[in-house]
Amino acid sequence: MSNAEDKKKGKLGEWLYKGLFEQVPFNIAVIDREFNIVEANKNFDSYFGKWKNKKCYEVYKKLDSPCVGCNAILTFQDGRVRVRDDTGIDQHGNESHYVVHIAPLRKSVRGKVDYIVEMSRDIVETKNLQMQYQLLFERVPCYVTIIDRNYKIVRANENFREKFGDVHGKQCYEVYKKRKNRCPNCPAAKTFKDGQVHHSNQVGVKKSGEKAHYMLTTSPLSRDIDNVPHVIEISVDITETKRLEREVIEAERLAAVGQTVAGLAHSIKNLLMGLEGGMYIVGRGLKANKKEMITEGWEMLERNLTKTTSLVRDFLSFAKGRLPELDMVDPNELVHEIIDLYGTIAETSGVRLIAKTKKTVKRAPLDRKGIHTCLTNLVSNAIDACQMSKRKGCEVVVGVDDKQGVLTFTVSDNGMGMDYDIKKKLFTTFFTTKGGQGTGLGLLTTRKIVKEHGGKITVDSSQIKGSCFKMSFPRKNLKSLFTHDSLVE
Amino acid sequence: MTDLKGKTVLVVDDEHDVRQYLTMMLEDAGLTVVTAQDGNEALDIIKKQPPDAISLDLVMPGKSGAKLYRELSKHAEWSKIPVLIVTGHARDELGKADLKELTISGPGIYLEKPVKPHNYIAAIKKLLGVEINGSEAEAAREVELQNELKNLIDEADAKTLETIRQLIKKRSK
Repeated sequence: MSNAEDKKKGKLGEWLYKGLFEQVPFNIAVIDREFNIVEANKNFDSYFGKWKNKKCYEVYKKLDSPCVGCNAILTFQDGRVRVRDDTGIDQHGNESHYVVHIAPLRKSVRGKVDYIVEMSRDIVETKNLQMQYQLLFERVPCYVTIIDRNYKIVRANENFREKFGDVHGKQCYEVYKKRKNRCPNCPAAKTFKDGQVHHSNQVGVKKSGEKAHYMLTTSPLSRDIDNVPHVIEISVDITETKRLEREVIEAERLAAVGQTVAGLAHSIKNLLMGLEGGMYIVGRGLKANKKEMITEGWEMLERNLTKTTSLVRDFLSFAKGRLPELDMVDPNELVHEIIDLYGTIAETSGVRLIAKTKKTVKRAPLDRKGIHTCLTNLVSNAIDACQMSKRKGCEVVVGVDDKQGVLTFTVSDNGMGMDYDIKKKLFTTFFTTKGGQGTGLGLLTTRKIVKEHGGKITVDSSQIKGSCFKMSFPRKNLKSLFTHDSLVE
Repeated sequence: MTDLKGKTVLVVDDEHDVRQYLTMMLEDAGLTVVTAQDGNEALDIIKKQPPDAISLDLVMPGKSGAKLYRELSKHAEWSKIPVLIVTGHARDELGKADLKELTISGPGIYLEKPVKPHNYIAAIKKLLGVEINGSEAEAAREVELQNELKNLIDEADAKTLETIRQLIKKRSK
C-alpha cells in the first residue's frame, strides 16, 4: 500500500499515535473519573508494574484510597494542565521521584473531562545529583559564594557563613572585607566583564575580626561569556599556611643568625691566633733583643689588624638587608667594566682575562652596584683559583648571554677547581679556602644579591677543568621586581 | 729540653701567620719543624721523611686535614704518627662532624684556636711521650679536661646541661 493510501485511510495517524504512545520516554497512564487506569504504555508497565483493573493510587503509591491533595481531581474539575514533583513506589517497592504532567482528555471539544492522561518521568538520578551538589556546595572545605551583577551575595555555603557571618541581602565586599564600596582591582568585576576565570590572593576580615588570607578564583556562572549574570567565588583559606610560612622564615632567620655567629666566632678565633702569634714573636724579640724578630712580630700584628678591618667591612656589607635598586643596565657594559678593573691584577698574576659579550644581550633591570659586587667577587675568586693552581696559561672568562627569557652571567676559570668537600661548603658563612686572605663572605654576599634579583647561582667545578659560576636571572622575575605591584590586597 | 732534640713536628695549616707562630713555639721548645700549607703538601713531606708528630688544621683548601688523617690511618707506618688537631672549626658546621669522627676514632686530642704556648707545647710533648714538668702537666691536664667536658656538653641533653649550669653557678658564688 502506498503512503497516500495509508494517509487516506487514517492508518498513518493510528501508527503515529501508537508509536508515540509506546516509545515516548515517559510513563503514560490514562485514568477515568473513578481513578481506574484504563490504558498505560510499556514504560509505565515496566516502571510501576501491573496496572490492569487497578486504581491509580494503588499503582503509583500502593495506597488503598485516593491521595490527599489529588491533582487529577482538580484537572477533572477545571480541565487545566498541571505539572508537579511527586514521590511514589516503583514495582520493586523502592521510593521513586518523578515529575508528572497531568492533562485532560475529552471525547467532545466542549464536553466534560472524561479522562486524564498522566505523563511522568523518573527524576531519582536528578534528585540524587541535586543532593550531592547541595552537599558539595555546603561542605566543601572552601568558601563559596555566588554574586549577581550588583555584587550582592545570592548564595553562600555553610563554611563561608560560619566564618564571615550573615550574608542575607549584603554585597560581597561588605561581608568579605567589611568595606562600604567595591574593592579596587575586583576580580569578580573582571569575570563579569570578560567571562574568564581569574585568580588572586586576597586579605579579608572574618566575623571574629581576625584577618583571613585566601586564594580566590572567580568563574562565570554562564556559558555565554558576553552575558554573565552571576559569578561564583571560590576561596581557599591560607591564613594557617601564611602563619606557618612566617614561622619557617623566622626559624630560618634564627638558624642563619646562629650560623653567622658561629662563623664570626671562627673568624675572630683566627684573628686572635694571628695576634697571639704576633705578640709571641714580638715578646721573644724583646727578650732576645733582636730587632728583626720584633719587626716580624709587629708585621704579623699589623696584618691581622688589617684583616679585622676587612672582616668588619665584608660582614657589614653581607648583613645589609635591602631591596635591589633597579635601573636599566647594559649587561655587556658591566662585563667590560669588570675586565677593565681586573686587567692589571690578572696580568701581574699571569692570568689571561677574557670578555665574552654578545650583541644580542639586551638591557635589563639590574642593581648595577649589586651585580658589580657579584662579578667582582667571582672574578677575584677565579684569579685566586688560577694562582693556587700549578697549571700554566690559566685564563678567566667573563661571559654574558640572553636567551629563552633568561639573562646569564658566567665566570669560568681553568684554575685549581674544587673537590666535593669544598663544593659542599661553598655557600657556608665564613668558609674560605684562601687561608688568611679571605673572609668567607664573598660568595655568600654574591648569592644574596642574586637571590634578591629573583635569580640563582650555580657552580660546576672539578679539579681537572676548573670552575664555572653561573648567575641566571629570569627576565620575568626582573620585570616583576621592576613593576612591583602584582599582589591584590 | 734535651729530650725533644732531634724530634721533628710537621705543622700543617693553610694560614701563613699560624704556621709561623706554631713553628716558633715548637722551635723554642727545641723541636725541628717542617711546614705544609695543605694535606697534599703534607703527604709529600711524609712520603719523603715521616715526622715524629703532626700538628694538623682541619679545614684547608686542596686536601683537608680530615682527609689527610684518613689517608694516614690506612697506612701501616704512617698510622703510628701521633696527630694533634689545631682547629678553629671545633664547634661549627664546617669542622664539627670531622672533629667528632677524628676524636672518636683517631688522636682524641685537639686544641681550639687561638692556642696558648704552654698548652700547645704540653700537648705536643704528651703526644711525643716526653716527660713534662709540673706546670706543663697541669696545662696538658687542663686541655684534656676541657676537651672531655666540651665533648660531654655537646652530647648532653637539656636536663643535664641545666644541672651543669647550676653546679658551675654554685661554685662561682
